[in-house]
Amino acid sequence: MSTMKRLRGLRMLVGDAVEHGSKAVEDVHKATAARTFVVLEAIPPIATPAKVVHVVHDASLTGIYGIIRAVNKVVGKTLDVAIEVAERSESSREKE
Amino acid sequence: MYVPGGSVATEPVLAAPLAWPVLDAREHPESARAALATTQTTNREENRNIPSILASPAWRRLTKRVMVNASPMGKKLELAIAILNGAVGDRLARTDNGLATAMTFITSGRELPMVRAEIERAHPGATSRIAVLVHGLMCTEDVWTLPDGTDYGSLLARDHGFTPLYLRYNSGLTIAENGAAFAKLLGRLAAEYPVPIEEIVPIGFSMGGLVVRSACHVASLAPAEHPWLPRVKRAIYVGTPHLGAPMERVGRVVSKLLRAVDDPYTQLAAELADLRSDGVKDLGDADIRDEDRARREPRIGLRDPRHPVPLLPQIQHYLVAGSLSTDARLASVFGDSIVPLGSATDGECVDAATFALPPGHVKIVSGLAHMTLPHHAAVYEHVRAWCAPDVREGKAT
Repeated sequence: MSTMKRLRGLRMLVGDAVEHGSKAVEDVHKATAARTFVVLEAIPPIATPAKVVHVVHDASLTGIYGIIRAVNKVVGKTLDVAIEVAERSESSREKE
Repeated sequence: MYVPGGSVATEPVLAAPLAWPVLDAREHPESARAALATTQTTNREENRNIPSILASPAWRRLTKRVMVNASPMGKKLELAIAILNGAVGDRLARTDNGLATAMTFITSGRELPMVRAEIERAHPGATSRIAVLVHGLMCTEDVWTLPDGTDYGSLLARDHGFTPLYLRYNSGLTIAENGAAFAKLLGRLAAEYPVPIEEIVPIGFSMGGLVVRSACHVASLAPAEHPWLPRVKRAIYVGTPHLGAPMERVGRVVSKLLRAVDDPYTQLAAELADLRSDGVKDLGDADIRDEDRARREPRIGLRDPRHPVPLLPQIQHYLVAGSLSTDARLASVFGDSIVPLGSATDGECVDAATFALPPGHVKIVSGLAHMTLPHHAAVYEHVRAWCAPDVREGKAT
């Protein structure tokens, strides 16, 4: 029931939620957009540009959600360090 | 006077609840001293390299106050963690997350280590008869507290001389996992308990009753490893879904339907629905063994199944069920709003082929919802009567 253990657990939980949540939303986002692209790609005159736009669209989505996950990881690591420092300070204070 | 969840106190308990930022220094002298010392001796030089929020006296005061489990704020935090454990506790345990609750006995809001000296310190007047209170899904031991501050354990201590122990566990784990852990914990208790144990009476609320059944089942398979089992002569189940909870089976059906629809949004909703913990899923058919889960997959019906594991015949079993309605048909369907009467009374198992409970062993309390059952005077009256020494040999009426 250590405070720091729980704080670390909360940090991990929020990090996992953002990681998996953003992946799930990204999949829904791509699947929804794909329905429109499938129709457009079936029309011969615009099929090629539609395919290009589809690839660009998916790539930019991957980039955006990837940035969200990267920021999440950086924030998580920073919090880990902060918690560790606070934990060390707490234990040294207890020793005194 | 007996303090719920703790040992006998000689000083009177304050009638009015304390405001959350205030610690009761009589109950938690160490924490109060630590909190006081922290606020008085803030050394700014020492904390120079700590992020400002985490180093601030206000933050430390807040964490001290929140983390004292017996304080009102601490209890709320424990409840929030219990809810989280009930919802996704299996994942928390699998990822070794610090929020995952380890199974332990709790005394005065603190963990009771299974060491003889610690048990003696926490229960100086330990008696040979133990009542073990096992909470349900997404609960803590606080669920047993009546409005007047007492609880079934403290009342049994007063009325029949029991020593109450309160179990806390991660209700998101499978019932079988919790049952096996509980069986092991009872073994350690039996080894370290300061006086010879005459009797252990497990009292399980809702899922807690299934954990009790699972532990007894595990112990019955290997009696040499679990010498505490013969000490369990009677077990009490309060609102326990012996035949499963239809609400979870409905959830299972809804999840399957959502999965069947080829749409990204419904797929996402199905994924969210499937995030519910293994413990919740086990409640659907009251799966108290790992192998019980195998019968779950092909069936999506709403009807109560017959449970493959009968109640252990060497134990006297006592069941309390709640019923919101006085109408028999409504009561049988809705029961206490979560557990139907047939499931709470193990109704469908009462025939010649399976274990049959004597009539006095099943009580239905009208007008009570599920979450009221573990802290109601009318339910306690039955618990008290069943725990009386002369009822042990099955003389319940």
